[in-house]
Amino acid sequence: MKNKPYKRKCGDFEIRVLSDGRIVMLAPDDELMEIARELDPNSELLPPKTKDDRYART
Amino acid sequence: MNVMDPAIHNRAGSRAEIAERSLRCCRLCPRNCGVDRTAGVKGYCQLDASVRCFREVLHWGEEKALNPSHQIYFAGCNLRCEFCTVAEWNEQPEAAKLMDVEQLAAVIARRKKEGARTVNLLGGEPAVSVHGILKLLARLDASTVVVWNSNMYYNTIVDELTAGLIDICLADFKCGNADCASRLLGSADYVEVAKSNILRAVNHSDVIIRHLVMPGHTDCCLEPILNWVAEKLPNVKLSLRGNYVPPVEATMAPSRYLQTDELKRAEHLAAEKGLTLVQ
Repeated sequence: MKNKPYKRKCGDFEIRVLSDGRIVMLAPDDELMEIARELDPNSELLPPKTKDDRYART
Repeated sequence: MNVMDPAIHNRAGSRAEIAERSLRCCRLCPRNCGVDRTAGVKGYCQLDASVRCFREVLHWGEEKALNPSHQIYFAGCNLRCEFCTVAEWNEQPEAAKLMDVEQLAAVIARRKKEGARTVNLLGGEPAVSVHGILKLLARLDASTVVVWNSNMYYNTIVDELTAGLIDICLADFKCGNADCASRLLGSADYVEVAKSNILRAVNHSDVIIRHLVMPGHTDCCLEPILNWVAEKLPNVKLSLRGNYVPPVEATMAPSRYLQTDELKRAEHLAAEKGLTLVQ
């Protein structure tokens, strides 16, 4: 029987590292966005980090 | 201070009641299931009458005019795109939390204070949760810019229910022909339905047509869509996206990522047809 790849379940998150070094995050939530910002602080796709951390979760 | 527009509040509220009644024999979308969702029966979208959200996030990766955009993800969908990045929530929407209108309206107000320029209703597909979305719209501050981020696969009733209550229709036009739509989305009539709904949406909303460029689908999907837009809506804003994510094990959908030059070619094609590209 063929071994099937793991199928994402609700609540899972998925990060892919491609062979050329790119990192793909699927449908990121706040936590994944935070990780993305650590990896690429200058990305224009991410909110700027501010002193008062406007994006802190309450 | 949040100021609700009484006219919008009343209109959205009364339309929510109409939408809820329509769930007794649900024909919100062309699946025309005809099931009584209010009795707990689920349609093709895997939803009964409950409205469920699985994520809200402030996002900077939408079209520039929308950013930062407060994305609210509704669970459940009427398409089965093989390349969907949130498919798990559409297959099992009951795993998502029930929407609490008051709580969500408060979150929207908070995100607005954090800088959100728009509220982006997506999924899944928002149309299959339109009854709950209308209740939410009735609670929003009058200055909130509402984005209807949809696959455009729904029946006319959804357009009638939302007309005048949404500001921007972000029309995700996925495929350019019936064969690809059937294989990739699970819906052979998708293209014609989406076209009709886009033409209706321009009558009451600012429309951005978004197309996710798929590797190897230039002749069959990209070009027919560009040709149709150029013919029918030459001045509409068009957004070509290059962030296609292949499924782990693709059967029908493309199995690779889009290359930079493929996106450039797509943009060049659009420009050649005189279309207005937005970033």
